Amino acid sequence: MDLHFSEADEDFRRDLRSWLDANLPQEMRERAFWRDLSDHDQFEARRSWEQDKAKAGFAGIQWPTEYGGRGGTPTMKAIYDQELALANAPHTVNPLGLAFLGPTVMAIGTAEQKRDIIAPLLHCQTIWCQGFSEPGAGSDLAAIAMRAEPQGGQYVLNGQKTWTTNAIHGDKIFALARTSPAEGGARHAGISMLLVDMHQSGVEARPLTQMTGEAEFGEVFFTDALCPQDQLLGGEGDGWRTAMLLLSFERGSSAIGQYTEFRQQWDRVATLAHQLDRDGKKAAEDPVLRQQLAGALVDLECLQYHSWHVLTQTTLGRDLGFEASMTKIMWSEAFRKVSDAYEAVLGQGFQVPDPQPGLSVQELTTMAIWSRSCTIWGGSQQVQRNIVAERVLGLPR
Amino acid sequence: MHFALTDEQRALQDAVRSYLRDRFGPAQVRALYDAPGSDGVPAELWQAVGEQGWLAVMVPEEYDGIGLGLLDAAVIARAFGAGTVPGPWLSTVLLGEALRLAGSPEQQRATLPGLAAGAVKGAVALLAPGSSPTPAGAPVPASAATLSGATLSGETLSGRLDLVEHAAVADLVLVASTDGGLHLVDPRAAGVTITAHDTLDRTSRLSTITLDGAPSERLAGSSPEVLQQLLDRAAVLVAGDLVGLSRKALTDTVEYDKTRVQFGKPVGSFQAVKHELADLHLAVTMAEYAATYAAHAADAGLVDAQLAASIAKAKASDVAGDVVGAMIQFHGGIGYTWEHDAHIYFKRAKRLQYAYGDAVQHRERIARLALDPLAVKVADPAGAA
Repeated sequence: MDLHFSEADEDFRRDLRSWLDANLPQEMRERAFWRDLSDHDQFEARRSWEQDKAKAGFAGIQWPTEYGGRGGTPTMKAIYDQELALANAPHTVNPLGLAFLGPTVMAIGTAEQKRDIIAPLLHCQTIWCQGFSEPGAGSDLAAIAMRAEPQGGQYVLNGQKTWTTNAIHGDKIFALARTSPAEGGARHAGISMLLVDMHQSGVEARPLTQMTGEAEFGEVFFTDALCPQDQLLGGEGDGWRTAMLLLSFERGSSAIGQYTEFRQQWDRVATLAHQLDRDGKKAAEDPVLRQQLAGALVDLECLQYHSWHVLTQTTLGRDLGFEASMTKIMWSEAFRKVSDAYEAVLGQGFQVPDPQPGLSVQELTTMAIWSRSCTIWGGSQQVQRNIVAERVLGLPR
Repeated sequence: MHFALTDEQRALQDAVRSYLRDRFGPAQVRALYDAPGSDGVPAELWQAVGEQGWLAVMVPEEYDGIGLGLLDAAVIARAFGAGTVPGPWLSTVLLGEALRLAGSPEQQRATLPGLAAGAVKGAVALLAPGSSPTPAGAPVPASAATLSGATLSGETLSGRLDLVEHAAVADLVLVASTDGGLHLVDPRAAGVTITAHDTLDRTSRLSTITLDGAPSERLAGSSPEVLQQLLDRAAVLVAGDLVGLSRKALTDTVEYDKTRVQFGKPVGSFQAVKHELADLHLAVTMAEYAATYAAHAADAGLVDAQLAASIAKAKASDVAGDVVGAMIQFHGGIGYTWEHDAHIYFKRAKRLQYAYGDAVQHRERIARLALDPLAVKVADPAGAA
């Protein structure tokens, strides 16, 4: 048992911290700064900061240096996630490209794809969307109906994607489409992954307003949109395999960044509980709320232990396989417990941004509502439980 | 970064498991259930526990121990939980810890070698039943612990100690008083009466000890801090037992539900069953981490060792309750019979869920340790800004 990071890891932490001290202005660490910007200006401010960060060498932490990455270890990536969360740094504008597309292109992309995609992705010159979900294909991804028909060296795309993160900011989308119909039981056959330019007349992105009131995802409509045939990632008809490979890059994720963020959130909720009144005392003195807050903290700390476990195993070079589903359930449910405790501490005050004079809770309320999405996207809790039951415990289908 | 057992700890785990597999399996556990009148300590097992060094694990080497840490002891506790192992291992180990932490060199020399070898069986009364795991919950009030009428060997004690594990077989009893005093009592001395209870979990035996001017000897370094440390160590070891038990109960249930066919399919293929089993697998895994970390935090003297102990006990208690309940439910009718082992896990889990503080009490302690300090931040205008 040794919970220390290596000397090299701690050097990296110091370098990153001093860069953040010098390059992440205090105002950008405050929620108010972002609230006052338009959606477009907010996105561009985040992009510009992230580009500076990438130039300074704090991007693609685990990517090989030949692709412009830092060539770091899993523990360095964990430290990176931890420090960005502690600094309250803006979230990445290119989450799906960085987490999924980049590593997939490195693994199976053509030389041209590697050259054209990786550097602009890392430096956020190209914003990538993921085109998986459709109105009729949520948890059941193989039910996708979007078609891509070959025609004179191009694919012609027709169909609709939905719940697409960054839809209105996207430059390109890695999309699953049917290049041949599903025949009989072979639903996974005939699907291809295409790299589609979103800046064309056949592609229309519309914002979807979420229950937070924000519109960070949207719908993407394809009407005779074109995609050159060399923009196929993996082989034609191999899209399911490409998609599974792509999603596998989530497996090494330790969720330590999520832990760090939620733990800060718990501290804020706990502080709030000492400020809000309840039955003539403070909410923090209510025995039932104390149980709820402590229960949320128990699961949060277990999430931290889990992230150490993941880091230990990935450092030893082991593939965690379907344990990734456990990571997803653990962090999203721990987040929900913190959010539920927050809601209970506020009570009726949950309805307003200023429940007591001098208290502003807008940011926490948005977080609490956001927690409702995390048990759906990226594989719903119900799908993840099937995976844990069948793939980890070996229960029959 | 290495959040896992060492090779040596794994070897220890394998040694305990393989002994239990070969020499003390379900049939031997069941024999205890069929003999409620026995003293609950199978002689051959107890002899092995002593010979293998499982009692000596934390005893310093100078007193014939092995000098390892709480995490090593927790490895044994986990294997004992999985095997529903009977006997006064935990209480003897805790008595040794009390001597290691608070005994004078003379007290240590007199007692630790015997405890390490298994020659002396220990019982401990650190907490009155139902009390929160703090020195205030000690079973004897401080005034009773410092009664006059001292004998040549020290003081005398009076009071009632309820639900003390293995008191009837103990050679030495450790009694805590609310001022943090730790007192050794000879259970065979005059003024000591032991009444055995018919115990639901027959892998243990609970008794009531009545002290009426019983001679006692105070451990020289006694203090509320040491008592708190002992209570935390007890909670961590019990959490270890509970997670070992939970993992075994869950694995048996999963295996059963893979083969039990109803409606023409294995019942484990139904989502109503498999989702709950998946959730339990996650919960047991989390409790395993928590029990491991808490033991390490104590060994490494980490600042959050107390918080970690309460997190481990709270999580393990809840999880064990959920798992043993599911074990009965997901075995259907057979799970409710005496013939099936489910009730053996259930009853041991119930005993340990509520020992050394239950989940509610440990969550309250977590609130005191993590929530209450944030009030200072609120009171301080600079912190609130």
